[in-house]
Amino acid sequence: MQALDLRGNKAYLDRAFRWSAAGAAALVLLILGLIAVTITGRSLPVFHEMGLKFFTTTRWSPPDALFGALPFIWGTAFTALIALLIAVPISLGMALFMTQVAPPPIRRPMVYLIDLLAGVPSVVFGLWGVLVLSQHFGLGRSFLTAGIILAIMIIPIITSLSREVIETTPPGDKEGALALGCTRWEMIGAAVIPHSAGGLVGAVMLGLGRAMGETIAAALVIGSALGQLTLHALSPGNSMPAVIANEWGEADTLHKSALIALAVTLFVITIVVNLIATAIVQRSMRRAQGL
Amino acid sequence: MSKSSILTWALAVVGLSLTAPRLASAAGTTLNGSGSTLSKPYQEVAIEEFKKAHKELTINYGGGGSGKGRQDLADMVVDFAGSDSPYKEADMAKIKGGEVLYFPILLGPITVSYNVSGVDKLNLSPETIAKIFQRDIKKWNDKAIAAENAGAKLPDEDIVVAHRADGSGTTQNFTEYLNGAAKGVWKLKSGSTVEWPSDTQAGQGNGGVAQIVKSTKGAIGYVDLSDAKASGLKFASVKNQAGKFVEPTTAAASAAGDGIEVKPNLLFSALNAKGDRSYPITCQTWVIAYAKQTDKAKADALKAYLKFLVKDGQKLLSEIDYAPLPKSLEDKAMKQLEKIQVK
Amino acid sequence: MELAQETEAAAAPPDLTAKQSWRSVKSAVMTSLMIGSVVAIAAPLIAVLWAVLTRGASVAFHQFPDFFVKDIPNIARRAGGGMGPAILGTLMVTGAATCIAVPLGVMGAVYLHEYGGKNHFSRLVRFMSTVMSGVPSIVMGLFIYIVWTLHFGYSAFGGALALACLMLPVVIGATEQMLRLVPNHLREASYALGTSKSRTISTVVLPAALPGIVSGSLLAVARAAGETAPLLFAVGAANEYNPHLFEEANTALSIQIFGNATSSFAAAQDRAWGAALTLVLVTFLATLAARVFTARIARKR
Repeated sequence: MQALDLRGNKAYLDRAFRWSAAGAAALVLLILGLIAVTITGRSLPVFHEMGLKFFTTTRWSPPDALFGALPFIWGTAFTALIALLIAVPISLGMALFMTQVAPPPIRRPMVYLIDLLAGVPSVVFGLWGVLVLSQHFGLGRSFLTAGIILAIMIIPIITSLSREVIETTPPGDKEGALALGCTRWEMIGAAVIPHSAGGLVGAVMLGLGRAMGETIAAALVIGSALGQLTLHALSPGNSMPAVIANEWGEADTLHKSALIALAVTLFVITIVVNLIATAIVQRSMRRAQGL
Repeated sequence: MSKSSILTWALAVVGLSLTAPRLASAAGTTLNGSGSTLSKPYQEVAIEEFKKAHKELTINYGGGGSGKGRQDLADMVVDFAGSDSPYKEADMAKIKGGEVLYFPILLGPITVSYNVSGVDKLNLSPETIAKIFQRDIKKWNDKAIAAENAGAKLPDEDIVVAHRADGSGTTQNFTEYLNGAAKGVWKLKSGSTVEWPSDTQAGQGNGGVAQIVKSTKGAIGYVDLSDAKASGLKFASVKNQAGKFVEPTTAAASAAGDGIEVKPNLLFSALNAKGDRSYPITCQTWVIAYAKQTDKAKADALKAYLKFLVKDGQKLLSEIDYAPLPKSLEDKAMKQLEKIQVK
Repeated sequence: MELAQETEAAAAPPDLTAKQSWRSVKSAVMTSLMIGSVVAIAAPLIAVLWAVLTRGASVAFHQFPDFFVKDIPNIARRAGGGMGPAILGTLMVTGAATCIAVPLGVMGAVYLHEYGGKNHFSRLVRFMSTVMSGVPSIVMGLFIYIVWTLHFGYSAFGGALALACLMLPVVIGATEQMLRLVPNHLREASYALGTSKSRTISTVVLPAALPGIVSGSLLAVARAAGETAPLLFAVGAANEYNPHLFEEANTALSIQIFGNATSSFAAAQDRAWGAALTLVLVTFLATLAARVFTARIARKR
């Protein structure tokens, strides 16, 4: 049912309210657009200097005005990969536990557990990582240590989203599987996972996006080494956000432009990952609700 | 919680932040500086001491690196900058406020700290240091190191090189030293960030490098004396121009200061200084300020603070492991203060 | 032939209650792995909280309330002092960010749900809002540096702008969810009385959704309070109290933790742990408050 049409002043105020609300919504587009434009603009000097070789060069030598982003792109991807390898089984296990195994009185404390983990600020994880974690287990400051810290930070988001997706499994499917004599695990494999697969992939990708963008915790424990295009997880490495945070203070104009170019690269990669992930999750949820 | 109480709460927060009386000094002047982290410890003690006599002033020194300081001053976002090196030619055009004056404030030894058990005294020449840091020498019992350390029990262990992850004036000075003293041997050039070999470790700030050296067996890194002593590290004696191996002490840094050539604009380099007792990796840092000032109160505060840094505060330096300026340089800096004028 | 087989089969009835052993073992193993994930989550959480508590409490509660009120010592190597300016800075920056992001976010969600519905513009905004919540915080920091800091210098307000940009998508999402839960009959009753749409929204719909909006906003605040990277580029570094939002550099707990984490001086590291404990307490309080509001909604239903 619609509101009655208004006349005069009231109509004006009503319309003004609607336009302010629309303006507020449009802010999202405006800010995203501004971000894209301003940081791309400021990164142009280094692209003038190096062209597209910026993405393929492995050396990073500011005194020579030589900037190659490849090892940092690799580092970002590598630590995110390690983080996923650790976080995904744990998150999925936790989500399945909370929805399929745990009796109802245990579920609420589990939610609090996840909330607590999500509530710890990333800089505190970084502090713990550099002063405690890296001193034990021979970890030092390396890709692996950064991967572990990132894993801890993305577990809450993957778990929560997975839980939401899994809970949309039709109870009929689950009960049918159990009636046919499946064990609990077989039921999960037969009814829950096939139904949720798409959404789970989306949840994992959102976790991936978050892991790639994490700056501070990674910067403190990753080791900040150059030229590390390696699979050796215990060696010190570097990632795009860590380099930007570390080298910004002393950078001259061209160097700053190179760092901003790294930010542009990071921006594009995380946006693409998030776009795909959001589309997958939304599609899966809509299908689950029968739309 | 009703809508009105939330609103009141929000207004209170905003109101508090906009109208709260200044908890610091009353209607006084504020001086802001940023830049070199090498000079930050001195700025910290100096501000504390200076304020005892000047309670109405607020001085903030934000650190952030020499490059940031120079940039902030060029953009006139701060009143003074701390910098371990002068403006580059290319950047001179971007300085908005006119002529800049360089005021040297201290000399600081950069140690070559190491962590090798059983070796309490280590002698290193610039060529050997260069080869270690660019990974031409990879083991502690290498011939080159043994040659300079007769009688020392050097283990057959890998050398772990530690350097700065963040851009830094300390790196700039250390690499410049190697550029000059190990000419032909040092390949990595000089700058606030250089292209270190990939099998090395990096730490944030002098503290980060010190942490790495302290906790890694066989590590070696360049750390300023202050942080090295605070972390309990062992440092090497470095061979100076006169051929003597000198330990990094504030006395040796002062000795380096005696042997320098100062330009009329008070720029100089204390690296690789002449003299038997000079420590060769002694670096210098300046406070940069504009000659032309527009605000009288700020100009007076600035001149008073600079005077303190250059003269009366110098006695605070040795407690924090830095070396004071030689008297001749101090006098020249005091004279340059007169060039700060309010227009 | 068939009769013989049937008789054979009838002679030994199968035991339907015994599951094949390897299947049930596999299921049991998988279940214990799932329980293992709970342990895997609890372990690092307990380890981190333990470290923060043991190392931070002795600093933060030593001669209470010193730590929370005293200035940050100018000389990093000296013990003592406190994190007072950083606490004020965090409160100011987060408070100002909330004052910017919550009204704008709520209005934006109002448009999306009450006016826009499924039109192209709304779908685009919703989509982009989720995308925006994934923008790395350091990119947001650089953006604010270019757009604000370069023109207006360092200030707490610049940091607030950066945090507001990070909070906006979260507030929009949470508010829209809450608006969806407001039953339509409330709106219809209001229209039936002749109320305009805008008045309906502001006097009927929003108050009904308020607890959920507050809860979502508190979660956004909790996340914003812990952000470091954007503040490094916008707030600067000060050691003294600076209660002015728009002038001069300021500091925040997250900046202090980051800066002190790599110091060689034990005193500075101790202050980092104390600041970490303070920050964790602040974010936990906000999250707890959010959960209380959510429980209130559940009770009302």
